Amino acid sequence: TGGHTTEILRLLSCLSESYSPRHYVFADSDKMSEAKIRSFEQKRAETFSNSQFTLDRIPRSREVRQSWMSSVGTTLYSLLYSLPLTYRLQPDLILCNGPGTCVPVCISALLLGLLRIKRAVIVYVESICRVETLSLSGKILYYLSDYFIVQWPELKEKYPRSVYLGQIV
Amino acid sequence: FRFKDSLAEDVRRADLVISHAGAGSCLETLEEGKPLLVVINEKLMDNHQLELAKRLHKGGHVFCCNCSTLVETLQSMDLSTLKPFSPGQPEKFALFLDNIFGFQ
Repeated sequence: TGGHTTEILRLLSCLSESYSPRHYVFADSDKMSEAKIRSFEQKRAETFSNSQFTLDRIPRSREVRQSWMSSVGTTLYSLLYSLPLTYRLQPDLILCNGPGTCVPVCISALLLGLLRIKRAVIVYVESICRVETLSLSGKILYYLSDYFIVQWPELKEKYPRSVYLGQIV
Repeated sequence: FRFKDSLAEDVRRADLVISHAGAGSCLETLEEGKPLLVVINEKLMDNHQLELAKRLHKGGHVFCCNCSTLVETLQSMDLSTLKPFSPGQPEKFALFLDNIFGFQ
């Protein structure tokens, strides 16, 4: 969604073509991200001729401030979509940055790894808006991701398992 | 104006930007190197949204006020005391990922 999409596109801006094809997964209720992504990829195609990407939508796992209990239900519902999707895409790398949408995708990838079908590297980058506290997705994925990146030293102190590279968006 | 796709043009032409504490607005303005006064409305805002505004204020990159102190802040603030906020460096992220995967 919105700010998350802007941030993740900035993260992608310096990646080489080794990171291809790119599969974007976002919430079905998200109206604006598709346009931003297409615009980004269009510009990218001007530099890299063989640039490839796909877009997929899954049901939104959680509305802003939705209660914890009902979030578990809606996340499970999103899992019904994210599991076959992740199985089909078989990503080597999952890059996510905080919207609820990333949780079912990462859980799906972890399941595929446990079942020895495909092991993906999960890299989570917490939003630059998070200076003192982690988002709910961040709290969940702090232990589940392979690399957990924060953008402020205060968070690095609180979460020693994280990686601090400075501000990267 | 109601809603524009992007305020970037307007920000570039401005001498001072007064904004709410939304991260996008703050960061876009700071990127353009414009002085920024952030107006915080604690009643409307999510606690976590304040984190970035507070941190930017602490670092001397923006001025902060609330609706009732807006006028006096505008009158008393000294724009020359603001410290520039360096833009993010996605290159560092690319380098980090390249190291994980062994790309040069």
